[in-house]
Amino acid sequence: MIEVDRLSRRFGSFRAVDDVSFAVGTGEIVGLLGPNGAGKTTTMRMLTTYLTPTSGRAVLAGHDVLDEPLEVRRKLGYLPESVPLYPEMRVREFLRFRARLKDVPRSSLRRAISEVVTRCRLEEVENRIIGQLSRGYRQRVGLAGALLHDPPILILDEPTSGLDPIQILEVRSLIRELGARHTILLSTHILPEVEAVCNRVIIIARGRIAVDGRLEDLRRESSIVVEAKGPADAIAPALQTVAGVDRVAVEGQDGPFVALRVQARDGRDLREAVGQKLVSNGWPLRRLDLSRSTLEEQFIQAVNREALADARQEAS
Amino acid sequence: MRHVNELLRRELAAYFLSPMAYLVLLAFQVLAFLNFWVLVDTLSDPVRTHGEYSSLNDPMTTYISSSPSFWLGMLMAIPVLTMRLLAEERRSGTIETLLTLPVTETQVVLAKWLAGVVMYLVLLIPFALYLPFLYYQAHFPFDVGPLIALAAGLTTLGMMLVAIGVLCSASTRNQLVAAIWTFAVLFCLVGMIPLLAQFAARTRTGWAEALQYTSILHQVAAFGLGRLDLRHLALHLSACVLLLSLTVRIVSARGNR
Repeated sequence: MIEVDRLSRRFGSFRAVDDVSFAVGTGEIVGLLGPNGAGKTTTMRMLTTYLTPTSGRAVLAGHDVLDEPLEVRRKLGYLPESVPLYPEMRVREFLRFRARLKDVPRSSLRRAISEVVTRCRLEEVENRIIGQLSRGYRQRVGLAGALLHDPPILILDEPTSGLDPIQILEVRSLIRELGARHTILLSTHILPEVEAVCNRVIIIARGRIAVDGRLEDLRRESSIVVEAKGPADAIAPALQTVAGVDRVAVEGQDGPFVALRVQARDGRDLREAVGQKLVSNGWPLRRLDLSRSTLEEQFIQAVNREALADARQEAS
Repeated sequence: MRHVNELLRRELAAYFLSPMAYLVLLAFQVLAFLNFWVLVDTLSDPVRTHGEYSSLNDPMTTYISSSPSFWLGMLMAIPVLTMRLLAEERRSGTIETLLTLPVTETQVVLAKWLAGVVMYLVLLIPFALYLPFLYYQAHFPFDVGPLIALAAGLTTLGMMLVAIGVLCSASTRNQLVAAIWTFAVLFCLVGMIPLLAQFAARTRTGWAEALQYTSILHQVAAFGLGRLDLRHLALHLSACVLLLSLTVRIVSARGNR
């Protein structure tokens, strides 16, 4: 449904989005996770044709954002972060205005509006002036506006920011409901939100994709912490040869002991094989532990990794 | 066209949902009333009507085209009416929701401009309102020529002036800045060009003639005398197209600069 290929966006010399590629399939709910200023909003603005990419391609529902922006706009509903609305309009009037601009046929206009009003639970306020509504209601009006023409793709930029806990739960359950009929890309910097709503997460940091995976795979991902006595530059390559090991990283040195982190492929538990390898090479073992990393740890790791890579790039 | 129509309707509704439109309308109503008073006063003064430089033959000169209060009103009203159009959308971010709908930038700009033009024409209605009284009550013999020339000329002139305002509004997110720029440009057009023409008249007659031709004060004076020069209308309309296409370019560029 959404295909992004090496998308980049610069503002002057600042790379807001740097060589980002990912794809979202039909019916997926994908969370774009990242700290503030990571490039989430810029990515979304490029997907919605509001900004043009500096380089790269993005195709939504078969239409390129640069070649057929109007077709792309027809296929998506977009809720920007600050939920901009016209404060002087009434809710129903606003929805009618948006529906007409989205080419909802005249005959189904009334039905389309009533449907989103019910879905976003706006019945109580449909004749009120938008400027007088609370933040929560405004958010729902924005969401209703995005849903009006029943678009196959929904792009929601921080849909729960500024809401109180109850409203957050409501919006989340609404998004889960919508996931049955729409492909959804939402951005957030709140981790539990991704776990509550999405089935896939893309972690973006400093304009680059750091992690892209299904949530259950990420949850399963684990690493083995090893502390053994011996030369670090011999142990690490030896462990790398163990079947199923993805990568080995030296984490520290404590006297004669070396601390290593072994990342297994496909979340397999390799403690036995790793232990055997060390002992058979005659390196005494002090610690052998399985650590399941939470999404939060992975998020922090990913962000730090990108920061480190950036610092190295600048140094060289 | 359906999109332009829908956008235009919202824009006009937005005008009348804020007190601004009413205030500007009221101000113009007062101006028209005062101007009409002066006109009636002039017409009923036998000394002045029989003087050599009589304004009896072209009452529209006193009433509109050479009236300082009319021009002052225009200089104030057009910036006030156009400043909000695009600057407000940019400030509040609604431009983002607007331009991710299946509407083109051209449609948006066209609708905004049309809303401004409609409001401008509404402003001129008070001036037209008083004329039937003069005709029916005072049995004043009207010359139809100046009326038609003024109606056509002021319309195309307004289209151009509103396009200036829309362009200024597109180039900033601050309404006040937009208004000041619009005012500055209009002031140059109304006040500075005739002055420059006067300076140039002594040394460069060719330039003076060109400046005189582009001076809107001069143009409207001609309309008020019933001279409808189609070159003036063509100038207004082509300037209008140029300004609007520039505005579309600015709106399309957004944060891409």
